Amino acid sequence: MTAFTINGRAVEVAAAPATPLLWVVREQLKLTGTKFGCGVAQCGACTVHVDGEPMRACVFPLSGAEGRDVTTIEGLSEDGSHPVQRAWTEMDVPQCGYCQSGQVMSAAALLAQNPSPSDAEIDEAMRGNLCRCGTYVRIRAAIHRAAEG
Amino acid sequence: MKPQHFTLTRRSFLAGAIAAGAALVIPLRLPAWAGQSETAGFSQAFIRIDTSGQVTFLLPTCEMGQGTHTGQAQVLAEELGADWPSIIVDMPKQPAPDYRLPSGQMLSVGSYGIRAWYDPLRRAAAQAREMLTQAAGMRLGVEPATLQAENGFILHAASERSLPFGELVEDAITLPVPEEPTLRPDDQRTLTGRVVPRLDTPAKVTGKAVYAMDVEREGTLYGAARLAPVFSAEVEAIDESSVSAMPGVVAVVRVPRGAVVVADSWWQAKQAADALDIAFTQTSADDLSTDAIDTMLREGLDRADVPVSTLRGDAEATLPTGGQVVEAEYSVPLLAHVCMEPINCTAESTEERTALWIGTQGHDMVRRTLENALQVPAERLFINTTYLGGGFGRKTHGEIALQAALASRAVGGRPVKVLWAREDDVQQGRYRQTMMCRVRAALDDTGNIIGMRIRVAGPQMGREYGMDPEQMAQATGNLANFDPFSLGGLSDMSYVIPNLVIEHAVVDLPVPLCAWRSIAYSFNGFFLESFMDECAAATGRDPLEFRRSHCTEQARMLAVLDRVAEMSRWSELASEGMGRGLAVVESYGSCVAQVVEARVDDAGIHVERVHAAIDCGRAINPGQVEAQMQGSVIDALGAALRQKVTLRDGHAEQSNFHDYPLLRIGEAPSVAVSLVEIGSPLGGVGEPGVPPLAPALANALFAATQQRIRHLPLTDHVQG
Repeated sequence: MTAFTINGRAVEVAAAPATPLLWVVREQLKLTGTKFGCGVAQCGACTVHVDGEPMRACVFPLSGAEGRDVTTIEGLSEDGSHPVQRAWTEMDVPQCGYCQSGQVMSAAALLAQNPSPSDAEIDEAMRGNLCRCGTYVRIRAAIHRAAEG
Repeated sequence: MKPQHFTLTRRSFLAGAIAAGAALVIPLRLPAWAGQSETAGFSQAFIRIDTSGQVTFLLPTCEMGQGTHTGQAQVLAEELGADWPSIIVDMPKQPAPDYRLPSGQMLSVGSYGIRAWYDPLRRAAAQAREMLTQAAGMRLGVEPATLQAENGFILHAASERSLPFGELVEDAITLPVPEEPTLRPDDQRTLTGRVVPRLDTPAKVTGKAVYAMDVEREGTLYGAARLAPVFSAEVEAIDESSVSAMPGVVAVVRVPRGAVVVADSWWQAKQAADALDIAFTQTSADDLSTDAIDTMLREGLDRADVPVSTLRGDAEATLPTGGQVVEAEYSVPLLAHVCMEPINCTAESTEERTALWIGTQGHDMVRRTLENALQVPAERLFINTTYLGGGFGRKTHGEIALQAALASRAVGGRPVKVLWAREDDVQQGRYRQTMMCRVRAALDDTGNIIGMRIRVAGPQMGREYGMDPEQMAQATGNLANFDPFSLGGLSDMSYVIPNLVIEHAVVDLPVPLCAWRSIAYSFNGFFLESFMDECAAATGRDPLEFRRSHCTEQARMLAVLDRVAEMSRWSELASEGMGRGLAVVESYGSCVAQVVEARVDDAGIHVERVHAAIDCGRAINPGQVEAQMQGSVIDALGAALRQKVTLRDGHAEQSNFHDYPLLRIGEAPSVAVSLVEIGSPLGGVGEPGVPPLAPALANALFAATQQRIRHLPLTDHVQG
């Protein structure tokens, strides 16, 4: 059994230690906001926070979560009121939306570290998150909007 | 609309809705459906208002990011006077009788979502509004003409009385459906033509939007695929014992061209699928390579006796006449779709009943796939649509539904979610076709094109959708051998070329193909707009002026060209080292011109800025038109710069995002979008932003370096 906290709730999970956290979160904990996109940490659709740091859950082994604090998109806010979510809504960022959980989680982690990032800092922090619909222009604008509060 | 039809349809709805109470249901139909059978009284699409006042509508168009559902809801709510944004958009389903469509109509393709449904939606909404208004007039004892429908209420301003829609429903359904409803005048149209937030945004920023990937049925098992690396290969042998003892493995299921391993979790299924001892048949395509395909296409360019598909003017006049001749050859590679949501489907399937949860653009294609492979009759097939994590044409096909149904049947009808890994998605196709093109133009003394011969070589992708090239030629006024999925953008070009010959040397390839955002325009736009630039350069003319002189009567072309010239300050000199390239393509009922600003240094190609002007008629939601233009530019830019699928030893060489690289945020240029409104008919917006980008970029690189790149992806050919 692996014990950790997810979105403020203590859980114990039975799965092979090497199982990527993504599949535990989605299939066992039924938190499907975290997405599968590539399985090799190339697209960022599966981004969650582990002790506040952005992690690609598709390559993060369950064993690594032992005793740690995991936050998924469902736990970022109760009602979509996190500043990043509010900015995303105001700028109408999503198109298909599939990558946006990961985008929002990466952006939230960036702003927690750096409340007022430059374009270059945004590009660096968000480079691991792919968007096939090409919403990058609005993502950049929304991060600035969120930074302004 | 025939009252008889309405009665029939309404009865079928009411029958299903007794428990939930009465509802006013107005069916919609496309003009194109006229003459089709009533499909046993099934409705095709509808607006529904129930006694609580809830407005729901269903059209056969899915939401894959293009914003169609929001735009349709705007059109409906405005005309009806409904409370915005409480409208519920139902997801297309089939074949629950209430939802079934005439065969062949249930496709979300071709940028049709708004332009095809605009008039039927307005008409049906106006019908519902007039019925509610009439019911309110009877209740209030006033003339209906004195009433207004607003925000879900019928208002009588003079007496300051109002009635909510829901209270009027039971009376309204007893009234005849007005044949000729009066549409709202323009000054009452307040919800379209302006930026309105998407209905799906709140769900998409909180992780609550449900994609097929997220459907969890009670007791779901998970399937991972192991498919033949060579597209035409079949399974020769499977040794199930090689994985049956692995953790969680429940079953190994044979499917066309491979196997699905079913397990308690997808991760376990994937481990087992990778470990599965499976052998595939040898095929004649086992040594197929991109080089070999290129040789076949080049032979196609040189082949004798290729029939003429399109002829304008005099074929003889397209031959050199002693004046200046420009000639060039171009090519584009196979492309994958890599929707962010990998291909997946959940099925519960037995001999008696098959239910699917799938994000599909092609309900009819899915239905046909199961009908052909498993003899599932339509009335026993239930397709539940979710949001699509991208479509781009890839989700028109139904192989995944067959894999999921077979997997479910192998485990007694339990729900099985079959999910392709990204590697399956990149390596299994279906792909945008690879094509080559040779163009030759004869110019007159003024430097204008008097004759042009265009030959493309490559497969006829339309056959994947059942299109017969001879029938299509007849239906479209072309001569012969006409596949719109190969020749779109050439045969219907907006330039006026007095003498024009277009041919297609068909080269069949043993590679699975399907539509890719903007289909043939995605490559013919590159071919033609690169070539127009070459002709301008050969005659020393300005690319803008050269284009304008070949579409002098085409108001839409001129309007977007002039707008983009203004946006990009075309008449001023470009800054040092920067190249500016222009392209314009009319497709899917819209006209888009783009100017790309790019430079080349040791690190490669840098695209700094893109200007895009679109004429899509009246923009229902300008914010979403802008979003589609921005997204199309970035999508097309990634493809133009470096995306390709190459084959070696019969299989795809690329496998995931590391070697099939999408554009990343730091590479995204700023994209300025301008909407041109000159009273044109409604056009699509999901696709038309794609075709001009690649040629505009190639033209910009030529302007910057004097090097002409005629083959995509550009990065393969640029000398940084």
